[in-house]
Amino acid sequence: MYLPDFDYYAPPDLSEACRLLREFGSRAKILAGGTDLLHKMKHEEFTPEVIISLKNLSALREIRSEPGQDLLIGALATQNEIANSSLLQEKYRSISEAAWNMANNQIRHMGTIGGNIVNAVPSADLPPILIVLGARITLVSTEGERTVPLEEFFLGVHKTVIRDDEILTQVIVPAQTTTGSTYIRFGLRKSGALAIAGVAVAVTMEGEICRSARIVLAAAAPLPLRARQAEQVIVGQRVTPGLLEQAGLAAAQESRPRSSIRGSTEYRRDLIRVLTRRALHKAIQKEHI
Amino acid sequence: MTEIQSPGDTYSVIGKSVKRIDGKAKVTGQAKYTGDLKFPGMLVGKILTSPYAHARIVHIDTSAAEKLPGVKAVITHKDVPSQKYGISPARWDENIFCIDKALFVGDKIAAVAAVDEETVYKALKMIRVEYEVLPAILDPLKAMDEDAPLIQADYPHNINTEIHQNFGDVEKAFAESFYVRTDRFVGQRAYQTPIEPHSAISLWDGDKLTVYSSTQSPHYFQYYIARQFGLPLGNVRVLKTYIGGGFGGKLEPTGLEFAGAALAKITGKPVKMFYDRHEMFAHNRGRHRQYMNLTTGVDKEGKILGVHADFLMDGGAYTSLGVASAYYAGALLTILYDFPNYRFDMYRVYTNLPACGAQRGHGHPQPRFAFESHLDNIAHHLGLDPIDLRLRNARKPGTITPNEFKVGSCALQAAIEKARDISHWDEKRKTLSQGRGIGIGLGAFVSGAGYPIYRTDLPHAAAVIKVNEDGSSATLYTGAVDIGQGSDTILCQMAAEAMGYSFEKMNIISADTEAAPHDFGAYASRQTLMSGAAVKQAGEEVKNQLLELAASSFGVPAAELDAQAEIIYVKEKPERRRTFADVAREFFVKKGPLVGKGSYIPPKLGGKFKGAAVGTSPAYSFAAQVTEVEVDEETGEVNLVEAWDVHDCGQVINPALLHAQVHGAFFMGMGESVWEEVLFDKKGKILNANLADYRIPTALDMPQFHSELVDSYEPNAPWGVKEVGEGATTPTMGSIANAIYHATGVRINSLPMSYEKVWRALKEKRERDSRANV
Ligand SMILES: Cc1cc2nc3c(=O)[nH]c(=O)nc-3n(C[C@H](O)[C@H](O)[C@H](O)COP(=O)(O)OP(=O)(O)OC[C@H]3O[C@@H](n4cnc5c(N)ncnc54)[C@H](O)[C@@H]3O)c2cc1C
Repeated sequence: MYLPDFDYYAPPDLSEACRLLREFGSRAKILAGGTDLLHKMKHEEFTPEVIISLKNLSALREIRSEPGQDLLIGALATQNEIANSSLLQEKYRSISEAAWNMANNQIRHMGTIGGNIVNAVPSADLPPILIVLGARITLVSTEGERTVPLEEFFLGVHKTVIRDDEILTQVIVPAQTTTGSTYIRFGLRKSGALAIAGVAVAVTMEGEICRSARIVLAAAAPLPLRARQAEQVIVGQRVTPGLLEQAGLAAAQESRPRSSIRGSTEYRRDLIRVLTRRALHKAIQKEHI
Repeated sequence: MTEIQSPGDTYSVIGKSVKRIDGKAKVTGQAKYTGDLKFPGMLVGKILTSPYAHARIVHIDTSAAEKLPGVKAVITHKDVPSQKYGISPARWDENIFCIDKALFVGDKIAAVAAVDEETVYKALKMIRVEYEVLPAILDPLKAMDEDAPLIQADYPHNINTEIHQNFGDVEKAFAESFYVRTDRFVGQRAYQTPIEPHSAISLWDGDKLTVYSSTQSPHYFQYYIARQFGLPLGNVRVLKTYIGGGFGGKLEPTGLEFAGAALAKITGKPVKMFYDRHEMFAHNRGRHRQYMNLTTGVDKEGKILGVHADFLMDGGAYTSLGVASAYYAGALLTILYDFPNYRFDMYRVYTNLPACGAQRGHGHPQPRFAFESHLDNIAHHLGLDPIDLRLRNARKPGTITPNEFKVGSCALQAAIEKARDISHWDEKRKTLSQGRGIGIGLGAFVSGAGYPIYRTDLPHAAAVIKVNEDGSSATLYTGAVDIGQGSDTILCQMAAEAMGYSFEKMNIISADTEAAPHDFGAYASRQTLMSGAAVKQAGEEVKNQLLELAASSFGVPAAELDAQAEIIYVKEKPERRRTFADVAREFFVKKGPLVGKGSYIPPKLGGKFKGAAVGTSPAYSFAAQVTEVEVDEETGEVNLVEAWDVHDCGQVINPALLHAQVHGAFFMGMGESVWEEVLFDKKGKILNANLADYRIPTALDMPQFHSELVDSYEPNAPWGVKEVGEGATTPTMGSIANAIYHATGVRINSLPMSYEKVWRALKEKRERDSRANV
């Protein structure tokens, strides 16, 4: 297997990157960690004429927060940087754990959060937990920048609202009023297996009453799927084991997983039932870890 | 012949975990694999393969590819010898390139040599092939149907191999049985997945061909390459550098050697050929998919009276080593348990899928899975503990199987008892909570095949040891092949022990048909015993020559001397001594080079019936494996918690390497148990020819693992050794299947026992149970 020919640019800063992207438009592709892009190019699923590497844009690698404010994760932060960030481990362990449990060590060293989002595949592990926490993303072009709720970013497999001339620069996780969150994924071996089902949950508990809940499913539809019916089962209710099982059933019902060599629709649905129940249980018990 | 030392003797080199002789080169990255080698002017070659499972080749147009700058040659069947080849002489059915039909997605159509990799890939795309697509057979169960298309013209009904063996009277045994049970099992297509991809570099000098190859057997490569190109063996040199694993998948020459040799001849340049990962899967030669019906009759106490094995295997489009795989599948079922009546029926059919061959445990692991699962079902029915049932039937030393294999040493009973004790079996069978379970499987394997793959009277192994002029080092020359298992290390240990020398001063030149004497190579778990026997003999010849010479200086007969750890001494007066180096130097001065040689031919083995040769061996290893699993009963996820392997593998030459083999064998076995399966789409194209979706396990999936031994000494082997590398894969699938059964009460009859299969079986059981309750 061999990479098809392309021209290669490694711009020194964001504005030059934007300028190049404007110039080449749909003929170009951004290269972040390359764990997905290079693989697709070898298989000729993508044959961009131009590759624009973001490797010199070190500012986009930072993970930071100012007290009382939003948390900012640069688009080039790798999955291992996210998993190992003490800031995330303290404040949003559910995000660092989601990064830690995905892919394998080699991929986590290279793969970035930006790539994981823009790639837009149903099995991606980071979007669901970011969506339940209400994350927004910043998209930059020569025209300026805009901020989009992550929940509204995805349109389908490999389809998003990003324009050909835009670069995703950061993920913004707002300060939380939720009390607990978690993401549970199910893969077919302990490392290096894509999720065949995943469930992210964020809840706001008041004693035993669930005041609000957001549930987003991975690998359950062409895009990260908000399980609204499951949410409705528990919101405003006193939480009981029976109720969580009902929420699981509702999530399974509204999910639309496809059948593939990794798992049948029927199997994935049932996994969503089980994982939803377990994720709710964990998020209710355990705050943001 | 080599004399046999008793197990009580003390040794100075063998039995110790010396460091691997190739360890430093490998961990520092110094070791060069075939793919790392470069030669001046070397071209890169690749093979164009068929996109269709079954198609007539109407026309091949190579003109555009030939015109691409940098392309040096484009060849098709017209440019190479048309005679058929195959590793199994009984069924030569493969051509270097397809002549009129392509038989599977991945079959070889043409090849290109060019100045670099990039040009080769471009040129491949420029070869135009016109195909007429034919109906394909992808389901082996339909291959023998009346209306099935014929895949290979010479094989009616697509039957590649048909076996009917009958020993004793199975029908009578069943009639006299207290309980007769039939179960059906299915084994999946698995692939060896060595980390190092296959590669070969071919160079010609006049009419002499040299091939560097990532091979398990330079000899078979040499033999078949020479045959294909009409060369004397002496004009073909095959050698390997370092090998990153084979597991059976690198035993037979591939298109890389044949097409590479042709391209190198035409271009007059060295040509490097290699497979990409997905091409390795397409070349395949991995484990057959196998359908296994087993019927067993037992008496009230669970003593096995008779067994009928009725199997069918999917061979894929070519024979590969599959005739042997087919025979092995049934032959080795008689080794572990002692029963007098046995019938074995087998069809190996052709399909339009990649050819299957020998994979670690050759033919045996899946039937073993089936039989071990089947036995647990019988134990369950009779209300017996699965270990008690096995102990009741376990083979004893010095016995003969119904298909006439002579079993010498056999510490199976001790192995089972030890596995039971160290795993706390009795307690765990009773106390483990729901979802947790413990199961046992037994295994066994040949320590080298009694007969080579093609008919020849060549010795099976040979070795030469040359001592350096001043005795400060010695070099072992052997055709044995270290593919990662450590044979270079243990053969040097054996050489040093036999010579009375030390391991640290040994060098080795192995697996080079020109520099080293003949050996059949790394397969059938043969090298420790067979290559080891030749090495021991060579070492003893060196030692005897030194003792002869030293005898005159000590003024005693040679018989009163011995050598160990570089000291030659008078046995009765050990303080009278000279160093090995001193005597060796004197030898060289007085008599010339100090050289010892050895060779090994196994004794005549086996019966006279058709196929009697397959499964014969000078010695058999035995193993008992216990696995503890935890099953998530909602998701079907199988987590291996802990496993215990107890092996009877004769005397151990290097404990660290031995235990590493057991760990690796279990690791592979567990992969095939739960995760691995080669999958195809409806047109015969592989869906998961990569390491993301062909899920070999990862380090994280490996349970806590204990590898233990029982005392054993094999009288038919040098220093009492037996095999371990393949035998330890054979019990794993059965022990995991039985552990899952114990944990959940569901029996998964087909491999792999994937999470989804376990989930589905549990769901169906719950549905059955709830229907029964209303
Ligand atoms: C073996 C293996 C295992 C994997 N396992 C998992 C897993 O368990 N879970 C999972 O979620 N994923 C997994 N992946 C998929 C994927 O590689 C990672 O999710 C990774 O995050 C992608 O990031 P990257 O930086 O490598 O993206 P790249 O490959 O560099 O880019 C991916 C796509 O996003 C675009 N892009 C990247 N960054 C930006 C940006 N800042 N702005 C605009 N466009 C951008 C690129 O143009 C490209 O189209 C796996 C991949 C492999 C090869």
